[in-house]
Amino acid sequence: MLKQFQRFGSDLFFRGLTSTHGGNMSVRMGDRIFITRTGAMLAHLEKNDIIEIGLEEDDSNIMLTSSELVVHRAIYQNTSALAIVHLHPPYAVALSMTVKDAIIPIDSEGSYLFRKVPVVHTETTVGSTDVAKLAAEMLREYKIFMLRGHGCFSIGPVLEEAAQWCSSLEESCKIYHYTKTLQAAEATIAKSGLGELEYRKHTEDYNIW
Amino acid sequence: MNGWTRKMLRVDLSEGSTWIEDIDEEILQKYLGGRGLGAYLVYTEVPPETDPLGEDNILAFCNGAMTGVKIPTGGRSSLSTLSPLTGTIFDANTGSQFGVRLRWAGFDALVIKGISPTPVWLEITPEGAKIHPADELWGKEIPDTVAALKERGSATVSIGPAGENKVLFASIADEKGRSYGRGGVGAVMGAKNLKAIRATGKEKPGIADVDIYKFVNYEAGKMVTASPRTSEGLPEFGTSVLVNLMNWYGVLPSRNFQRGEYEFAEEISGERLKDEYLQKRGACWSCPIGCKRVTQVGDEKGEGPEYESIYALGSSLDIHDFDTIISANYLCNRIGMDTISCGATIACAMELEEKGKLDTELAFGRADLLLQTVEDIAYKRGLGAEIAEGSKRLSERYDMPEVAMQVKGLEFPAYDPRGMQGQGLLYATSNRGACHLRGNMLGPELLGAPKMLDRHASSGKAGILIVIQHTNTVIDSIGMCKFVNFAIGDDFFARLMTSITGVKYETQDLQLAGERIWNLERLYNLRAGFTEKDDNLPPRFLNEPLQEGGSAGHVVHLDEMLAEYYRFRGWSTDGIPSEKKLKALGLAELEMEQENA
Repeated sequence: MLKQFQRFGSDLFFRGLTSTHGGNMSVRMGDRIFITRTGAMLAHLEKNDIIEIGLEEDDSNIMLTSSELVVHRAIYQNTSALAIVHLHPPYAVALSMTVKDAIIPIDSEGSYLFRKVPVVHTETTVGSTDVAKLAAEMLREYKIFMLRGHGCFSIGPVLEEAAQWCSSLEESCKIYHYTKTLQAAEATIAKSGLGELEYRKHTEDYNIW
Repeated sequence: MNGWTRKMLRVDLSEGSTWIEDIDEEILQKYLGGRGLGAYLVYTEVPPETDPLGEDNILAFCNGAMTGVKIPTGGRSSLSTLSPLTGTIFDANTGSQFGVRLRWAGFDALVIKGISPTPVWLEITPEGAKIHPADELWGKEIPDTVAALKERGSATVSIGPAGENKVLFASIADEKGRSYGRGGVGAVMGAKNLKAIRATGKEKPGIADVDIYKFVNYEAGKMVTASPRTSEGLPEFGTSVLVNLMNWYGVLPSRNFQRGEYEFAEEISGERLKDEYLQKRGACWSCPIGCKRVTQVGDEKGEGPEYESIYALGSSLDIHDFDTIISANYLCNRIGMDTISCGATIACAMELEEKGKLDTELAFGRADLLLQTVEDIAYKRGLGAEIAEGSKRLSERYDMPEVAMQVKGLEFPAYDPRGMQGQGLLYATSNRGACHLRGNMLGPELLGAPKMLDRHASSGKAGILIVIQHTNTVIDSIGMCKFVNFAIGDDFFARLMTSITGVKYETQDLQLAGERIWNLERLYNLRAGFTEKDDNLPPRFLNEPLQEGGSAGHVVHLDEMLAEYYRFRGWSTDGIPSEKKLKALGLAELEMEQENA
């Protein structure tokens, strides 16, 4: 299990899906949860960074667990999830602050995988019981959702799948961002009357190649 | 008046006089209040050669600018004196109803000197202090004293029989549960023939910038809620949440630190306390964390036990009968004794017995003798009278000083430093002796707060410890609880101080104030005759590796850390602050005045 945490923690960090100390992951084993330690670095997880605690009952390890334990517990108690990943992917977080209640991927892969990703908001976002309640509701119907301005929570039967949803969502949001940025740039150029901006001659001729 | 009240109430029990003085604003700004103000008062008013139990010693109850202000944990108060247990400058600190009422009565500080010819109690109101006879209160246990003086809108501190009998680790109770616990402050109060002090007040302190105060307060509340330590672990289990955790790390002391784990930890754990004994949770004034426990054993209800008390009266004595441990804790609360020093000195006696130095039935595991022993200490009966002097004196009496788990005369709290190098350095360098609350490395070495360090590494720990020592000094001086530091950091303290006092503080200003106070305490101890030889640990921690558990094989590498520590502090190799350092801290002139005096 440690290897799984290390592998996906490292992958997700080095893909830029969270900061050095951001994000957390967990898996459920029956009535027990194994969750990353508060402040742990996902790219450098060690044995003592994975903390075991009850699905419902606290014990002394509560002093070590991620501050998002309350959300992880609510998700496990209300869904069929066996693994959870929480990250702060920058493109998805930025996009969550520009859409009303959902991110609708415009790329093919994202469309097949998600169709839509709900965006919700609460006043407090870290270790929040409000988030816990909303997360449990959202993840009964969706495999990933965005907390506006904060990050995503995703679920799966194994860590790999929960990690995949985060990674794929971020990719869809990147494509969305690049597409919209390019479209806006083209519109601006067209409006300016400058025509296409060239760095060499024969642009039109390349179309017939 | 914003922030500080700038008023100090003085009482001379020998003269039977009381008066009110202004406090110099510059002193408050430099020393912040609380522990800092107390250190200044002891430094300037109590020569180190003073008899701690004589009439020239003072009891300085000092509030911080946050005491009595509605912020997370704004209910702490400090008490400074020359300790009869350690001979060092000393401050005890508690979540204090009394401190809050003293503040609301309009006083940043209450300073008591002298000795009353007969037992008395003090009544504090916004008008000042009145001295009342206490013949009828003398001899009473703390709950009875508090009940006798109970009045709406007031709070009481008092001593029990242990303080009256000048047990060197007697405490002063704040109402019935919390205590100015350590260092024998209760003995100082008892020596003054002062049974109790009741403060009545309702004038809340003014806030200089209400808008900033409200927003910083709101953000601080959010951070407390977001941390599982302050929003779940401590509220749900109290400090006893640490029993199983420290056992797992191999730093839960048992049998007087001969071992670092306890096979019966589960039986005395926070989990068991919650399941089988907890009646209700409680909190100090304005505390959203709420680590206080109200428990019940048989017909008796009481407060606690804290983690430290469970170690001292339990695992350290090889006692795992939780009923007995909790009852002993109640008894210490009723008769007014520090559970840590009490238990640790009993553990010392038990090891003396084990080593054949002391002929007594009091042996490790003798739960059946614990309650009687605690009572004997308070009333100084038989062996109890010897234990009442603390582990240092007891072990020296039997020519085996190495079995006293103490530094500068103060007994150890519940973290074996062999599993926490930085904590070892903290114990050795703390100005009041072996104390975890002078710069606790529990956060960075075991809990990952604010970041996890390699607990077995010694290199570099000195630099980190110094910063934490200063932060802890600041927290003690502004009137907040160290637990809030699990959730919020120095920048919050600076913003709160600025908004409440109207004096602009930045993080580095508070760090500098913390360093100033720390160095002032050091100067006092140097004048009292302490040297670098006293910045030490019992040989057990330096030479005897733990044999089993999560910290097996380790000892404390004190020498290398201590050399770094002195260098990083700008002290000489024998631990004396340099002139340059004293000038930078604004202490050179004060030191000169004291030398000339």
